[in-house]
Amino acid sequence: MTAAENGALRGRRESSRLPVGVLLLVLLPLLLMPLAAVFVFALKGGPGAFWDAIRSPEAQFALRFSLLIAFATTAVNTVLGTFTAYVLSKHRFWGDRALGVVVNLPVAIPTVVVGTSLLLLWGPIGLLGKLLVPIGLQPMFRPFGVLLAHLFVTFPYMLGAVKPVLDELETTYEEAAYTIGASRWTTFRLVLLPALRGGLTTGALLTFAHSLGEFGATVMVSGNLRLKTQTAPLYIFAQFEAGDIAHANALAAVLALLSFAIFFFLFQFASRATRERAR
Amino acid sequence: MSIVLDGLTKRFAGRAVVEAVGLEIADGELFVLLGASGSGKSTVLRMIAGLTATDGGKIELMGQDVTSLEPQKRGVGFVFQNYSIFQHMTAAENIAFGLRIRGVSRRQRHQKSEELLDLVGLGGLGERYARELSGGQQQRVALARALAYEPKVLLLDEPFGALDVKIRAQLRRSFREIQQRLRLTTVLVTHDQEEAFEIADRIGVFERGHLIEVGKPEELYGKPGSLYAATFLGAGTVLQGRCREGRAEFGPLSLDLPAGQAHAEGSPVRILIRPEQVELGHAGADGRPTLGVGRVVESSFAGALRRLRLRIPRLPRTRQISPPLPYGEEGQIVEAVLPASDPVPDEVRITLKDWRVLEQPLPSLLVADPLGAQRPPVAAARPLASALNASLVVLGVVPADNPPDPLRERFKTEFEQDADEIRIRVGEPAEQIRNEQAETFYDLVVLGPIGPKAIRSRSVRQLLREASTPLLFGEAREHFGKVLICTAVGEPGKSDVRVGGWLAGRLGAAVTLLHVSRDSAEPPRWIRAHLDQGVATLSAFDVQAQAQVRQADSPLEGILMEARKGDYDLVVIGGHGPRTRSMTGRDDIAFQILDSAKRPVLVVPEDSG
Repeated sequence: MTAAENGALRGRRESSRLPVGVLLLVLLPLLLMPLAAVFVFALKGGPGAFWDAIRSPEAQFALRFSLLIAFATTAVNTVLGTFTAYVLSKHRFWGDRALGVVVNLPVAIPTVVVGTSLLLLWGPIGLLGKLLVPIGLQPMFRPFGVLLAHLFVTFPYMLGAVKPVLDELETTYEEAAYTIGASRWTTFRLVLLPALRGGLTTGALLTFAHSLGEFGATVMVSGNLRLKTQTAPLYIFAQFEAGDIAHANALAAVLALLSFAIFFFLFQFASRATRERAR
Repeated sequence: MSIVLDGLTKRFAGRAVVEAVGLEIADGELFVLLGASGSGKSTVLRMIAGLTATDGGKIELMGQDVTSLEPQKRGVGFVFQNYSIFQHMTAAENIAFGLRIRGVSRRQRHQKSEELLDLVGLGGLGERYARELSGGQQQRVALARALAYEPKVLLLDEPFGALDVKIRAQLRRSFREIQQRLRLTTVLVTHDQEEAFEIADRIGVFERGHLIEVGKPEELYGKPGSLYAATFLGAGTVLQGRCREGRAEFGPLSLDLPAGQAHAEGSPVRILIRPEQVELGHAGADGRPTLGVGRVVESSFAGALRRLRLRIPRLPRTRQISPPLPYGEEGQIVEAVLPASDPVPDEVRITLKDWRVLEQPLPSLLVADPLGAQRPPVAAARPLASALNASLVVLGVVPADNPPDPLRERFKTEFEQDADEIRIRVGEPAEQIRNEQAETFYDLVVLGPIGPKAIRSRSVRQLLREASTPLLFGEAREHFGKVLICTAVGEPGKSDVRVGGWLAGRLGAAVTLLHVSRDSAEPPRWIRAHLDQGVATLSAFDVQAQAQVRQADSPLEGILMEARKGDYDLVVIGGHGPRTRSMTGRDDIAFQILDSAKRPVLVVPEDSG
């Protein structure tokens, strides 16, 4: 059945355009115009100025640092999130439900609060940070501190993408592998992991996207040090505050483009998965 | 022996789902575990494979004890109902999975999977993914995958259950063929008796965690022992009557009991009559037993045969067990078959060509609320039922003009775990409990704890007066280790000793036979003789028994004193029957004991047991 037939069956009316108009009218200032504005302002000074703004060392550093942190965050949370999902899905233990709630909490906590608590824990006068000072270690206001903040904030995304798939996958697949002679690890590698491909991709892209745009926690733990711990969103904010709107806008446009690309992948991927499941 | 199971047990949440299963399966045999869903048969299969841990017992495969071996090392092939084909691999990759993880070369893997694809009839489809294969094809891949590493035994859990009828029949046949060719020891689990008959070398019938009967298909159909096997495997009529003078009696119908199937006098007897053993329109001149004249109530066409259900007038003191009687049915229903070309008679004489006497039924307990409050004391009856290995029938009585179905539904959900059967009657509680007792053989009626006021209610009085079955009052205990049988009440009853002894024998309890005398002198010789006889009778039940004489002002006082002092778990007293017997004024002693004993009391009517 084609989409058109489908629509016709559901009784979609072509005649009345009023609701569509109202919707567009509402969404225009809410979503569409701000999205467009980024690009309009970024290219206002012409492609040359845009290029120059991006090429500045600070902007370059911020972008690279952001990408590096996003990759690192994605790598660590892919492993950690998948492991957490596996344990929570396949093992029953005392307090498993409570743990399931706790690991999802980071989505609900304001990111600034996350930054504050990390500072209180790892900062120079923090609970654990205090112990690290004598041995010359100080994770806060360092790239490692930024990574810690991003790991915390993006933790639930991988878990949320992988655990439902694991929950739904019947245990008989694993059991079939066991009876054939596959160890737990082999079974995980050759049977479970391939079945998780979809969830892993979704989770990784979501983690990456959120890490790329993270602001609240980063601003607290990074100290916002130029060329040291300044991520792209922090750079944009700093330039904007300093009145250098052109530089801010240029990097904002690049970030927006990256996000669009990730979103496009996700969208493609989700619709392909839906099609495959439908077969 | 390829597979030996010994005392295999599994419990979930304290409840045994598989209990003490013992079984030996020969090399190359195709053994089918047959049972209703939830009977525990799949759990047995999973324990053999090592997918579920055992809670007791032993599993041997090819002479090796594998009870605590992990599934990877058992060398079993397992096929699941949902196929469980790895979705991201082709059929050939699925089949070669076991070889791949063992590092077999690509070329050999290819050769083996091609070979197996041919074996299961999927030649040329090796490159397809699961989603490109039909259910039947996926199950063939699963079978090939299980066979790839040449397992010692093959285990299949409802392998054809998810397929439609035609594919199922096809796959069944080709599976049987493959199994024969490989001579591979196989256990297959199914709930489909037709499937079991078609492919099994032997069948094991599973019910509620117990392997109740094992045999070749034709033996199990023709000569089942248990009621469950008889009704689960094929159609037929099962009637329950009583043993009288060495014969089985179903109202006017009296049948021989074959040698080796002796029943105790008065105990229930069950017979199975397969439809083809019923003769219609026979004159009955050659001495064939006659069930009666039946009227056809249902006739359905089944290919070469026509299945009939005939109604005959109800046989007195006979309970119909199968087919179950529809609510409100007043007669009894007999199943029969006719060649499809024969005319269907309207009314016809029914004689029996043959029948099968089934194993003696388990003791059965009736649980009822005599006060009509719809709270049958099922919890109180449960420990006793499990100690006696008795079936538990819960009776509900709804007042006239009330619909019985809501109560039936409530009881079903409430007592699903404990009750073997739920029966609902309409009318006045005491009267309906009495009717239920009269129509069916019960060993005990459990009435539960009843307050002092309720004990003297009209309902309970009526029950005590008219009961034909022992009545158990009070909060039943978890263990019945000591039983007190009181002979002091009126005439020394024989039935209370017999019933109490039977019960104590079943429960492994020790019995004290009590006589209460009013004076301290040695009791008269006839009392001594009676007590000695009682002890002898009890010894015949294999019960450890002793006689006790206690001196007290009144029998009631003596009984209560002894009951308290010996902390007995059960006090057995004789019922008075229709006569009123008032020893201490206005009340029968039974009421007073029920009032003050504070322990379970069994009232045994004189003519029961």
